[in-house]
Amino acid sequence: MSVTILYEDAGTATAPTAEASGDDLWLGPAELVAASGWEIKPEGVCREEICVPVPADRAAQLVRDGAGGQWLNLAAFARYIEQPYARDDSGGAWAFAAPASERRTALLTLEAPDFTLTDLDGRAYTLSAFRGQKVLLALWASW
Amino acid sequence: MHDQGFEVITVACETKGRAGAEQWLAAAQPKHPSLIDPHHLVPELYNTRNVPAVFWIDEAGRIVRANDPIYIRRENRETHEVTINERYLEGVRDWIRNGSASRWVTEAAETARRIGEPDAADTQARAHFRLGIYLHEQGRTDEAIAQFKRAHELKPDNWNYKRQAWNLGDAQRDYGTTVIEAIRNGTIPFYPPLEMPDPV
Repeated sequence: MSVTILYEDAGTATAPTAEASGDDLWLGPAELVAASGWEIKPEGVCREEICVPVPADRAAQLVRDGAGGQWLNLAAFARYIEQPYARDDSGGAWAFAAPASERRTALLTLEAPDFTLTDLDGRAYTLSAFRGQKVLLALWASW
Repeated sequence: MHDQGFEVITVACETKGRAGAEQWLAAAQPKHPSLIDPHHLVPELYNTRNVPAVFWIDEAGRIVRANDPIYIRRENRETHEVTINERYLEGVRDWIRNGSASRWVTEAAETARRIGEPDAADTQARAHFRLGIYLHEQGRTDEAIAQFKRAHELKPDNWNYKRQAWNLGDAQRDYGTTVIEAIRNGTIPFYPPLEMPDPV
């Protein structure tokens, strides 16, 4: 089934051949990396410099063979790394938030979390491009 | 102030995106980057629960003052009267002049305290809120409301989640309350305290 995945800071991804059932969400290698950035490697489930080892007693819940190589159960993986998620009743849409520990650790350094957003004309701005200047960052809403 | 290595960046936390922010931005004609954050990413990254929230970021990209609940310039919705918070603006000028020696810059521990620490309920609520926005965008209104309600239950003190959800539909019909009612009757503080240094 085609599944929509909203993963952490990433935009909306579509996984056309994902398999969702109850609290399981299986993704093949290409759709997994496109939606979440995670990849299955010999040393574990990896993204950038981080690899999460898959313990033998969890392997069956997390990883299985399928089309294109090894598939990951992204929802079981989220439970394993204590990452919160929400899904709709049909399993057609899933949102994964960054783990609280990750956000907490980042904020405790007091380094301003980076982001890229666009203005009304579609011009993109990235906060870190303003290094070397003082920045007053003001969050608002029209209500 | 721009000549002195200083920039203002505003972020409109608006799922309605253009429609929500456009009339205000069009009226204000800002010359600084005025960004739209339809999925409320920046409030998540900075652990804020309401607007306004102002952060000061130094040349090295470090937060030196956090989460001030203040509009420096504010325009009355009906009368269009503009008020400027002169005292706070003087603080900003002091920081531009004096950098880390400014009395308005807070100690690291104090800055961290004002930011607070997101917990598991914050991020679980975030997942429901993000899914709610997506379902709303898809026209799946009832399912969106259910997700927003989960976020509200998990984080009753997050006014961003309430405001945004109530603002997308009919607050009274969908949630049994309105912003004004909730502020008036609520026991949850609407803003963190604004803590400024004593006048000299």
